[in-house]
Amino acid sequence: MTGELIYEVKNVSKRYGSVVALDGASLKLHAGEVIGLVGDNGAGKSTLVKVLSGAHKPDGGQIFLDGVERSWESPRDALESGVETLYQDSGLAPHLTVSENVFLGREKYKKGILGWFGFLAKKTMEAEAQEDLEKVGIAFPSANRPVSQLSGGQRQAVAIGRAVSWARKVIILDEPTNHLGARQAGEVLQIIRAAKAKGLGVIFISHTLPHVLEVTDRIVVLRLGRIVKDSPTKDYNNDTLLGTITGTIQTIKVEGD
Amino acid sequence: MTDSKLTSQGAPSGFNWKPLVTNQSTILVAVILLLAGVFSAGSYGSFWDVSVFNNILTDWGLIVLLAVGQTFVVISGGIDLSVGSTVSLSGVVAGVVMVNWMHLDLNVKNEAAIGPLLIALLVCIATGVAVGLLNAFLVNVVGIVPFIATLATLGGGAGLAIIWSGGMPLQGPNFYGLVNPIKIGEISLSPISFAVLVVAVVVTIAGLFLAKARFGLYTYAIGSNSFAAKAAGINVKRHLTWVYVVSGALSGIAGMYAYTRLGSGSPSSGAGLELQAIAAVVIGGTSLMGGSGKMLGTILGAFLLYEVQSGLLMVGMDPNWKQVIVAIMIAGAVGIQGFSFGQRRK
Repeated sequence: MTGELIYEVKNVSKRYGSVVALDGASLKLHAGEVIGLVGDNGAGKSTLVKVLSGAHKPDGGQIFLDGVERSWESPRDALESGVETLYQDSGLAPHLTVSENVFLGREKYKKGILGWFGFLAKKTMEAEAQEDLEKVGIAFPSANRPVSQLSGGQRQAVAIGRAVSWARKVIILDEPTNHLGARQAGEVLQIIRAAKAKGLGVIFISHTLPHVLEVTDRIVVLRLGRIVKDSPTKDYNNDTLLGTITGTIQTIKVEGD
Repeated sequence: MTDSKLTSQGAPSGFNWKPLVTNQSTILVAVILLLAGVFSAGSYGSFWDVSVFNNILTDWGLIVLLAVGQTFVVISGGIDLSVGSTVSLSGVVAGVVMVNWMHLDLNVKNEAAIGPLLIALLVCIATGVAVGLLNAFLVNVVGIVPFIATLATLGGGAGLAIIWSGGMPLQGPNFYGLVNPIKIGEISLSPISFAVLVVAVVVTIAGLFLAKARFGLYTYAIGSNSFAAKAAGINVKRHLTWVYVVSGALSGIAGMYAYTRLGSGSPSSGAGLELQAIAAVVIGGTSLMGGSGKMLGTILGAFLLYEVQSGLLMVGMDPNWKQVIVAIMIAGAVGIQGFSFGQRRK
């Protein structure tokens, strides 16, 4: 079902003052694999996402991309190595247009005079953004409109399209179906399947368990900063997944021991 | 404006002027022309009288230089209150260098003053850059909000200007020809002076950088959503440092502009100008919340601001009302922005 191991974290931990947000978490992601990352609020999902995307440096542990140990100094490091992240609710700049958002940080330029004064190639970027987003399977209005004029679903579509079209190895989606209607959420899941088919490794973070069960190959459950279960999706159903997240299932087991 | 789509498609070079122009600009131009008519209609002499207009244009240039830098800062989501005191401070530092160090006095005039004045310009820019770096340090490294960080440098700069000048203007080399209308033979190009040309060049370059270049795009992106900007791989702190340095450097150039007009480095030459610069930016339609604004709006805003102030003086209003008028215009402009923002959100 899946290809080679592409992204791996070993035993990472992260502290904020006296709060241990992440306590020795390990994770393996293969090419063409979709991992669901679930857990209650405060379980450490966002912290793990920030470590994986280069936004935060872990206090301990190792990160490997394609078998090579890496240390992300900034999100830019991870981006340049092919690891894209869609952050929960805050991935786009609302005042900028769709194409400016898609190309932000990777702009294209016109050929300037003697290589100087090369202004932004806005027309080229608009056309390419339109093309890239359509390729990802997103229907959306013209690429020169400000993002603030789009609906919540359209914004999310642009954000996901941006991440998928740039990702070369790994794509991390933090709550991509939040605030979306059923049909739009279905489109997002379709995009995830397309990314998997392209051979990308996908990490899908969501509170909507049916979505996670529907689209993932493997589900990793975090609780209080620790990974408490990492099994193929077929080993879970809605109830056992919920029980594992809240701790009721494990608690019963521990008491039974 | 209604046919902006047509023009952008019709331009063969593909050069799109639309980002430089907004509907707000059209409104501002209309208001400016209307007020000009009102002020000229009285028996107080034409508002467009060349000598009056020359004065307005020269005064206006000083505000424009500050407002251009302020536009970048405000779009990035910050504010720079230190620009006024940087005008005073850089003028005083230039005076100290020329008068106290180089031992030049006010008898060094006209063409003979060009050399010293060029040195003074570099000194002014260096002073402005230093203030900008200090602002950026306070905002990025110490983590103080821009309003308070630049309030501190405003106070510090104004104090140093008084200490280093001894509280009196430092009279040094001068070349008033630079601020008077350019003459080619017998023909006067009034109201165009060398100083006004410098401002025009600065405005053009800054406007293009804001609307067309990566520098502008990153400024908008950071003001719009600095987290998204960082996530997209932009070095937000480094960019903000450049933004405050640009504002500081332009304040330094404005300090030289003020020196050239006065023939001296005065510790009060920039007093209160931060209010004028911020007013110009806000009247020009730039949101104090960051993320949006246009350079043309700022230029028109600065002009409207200056027109109202000088027009009211011409019709005999007590000059002390000036600050009150500026304050009312800031409040009015922000109020209108808040209103239209609220409308959009509904």
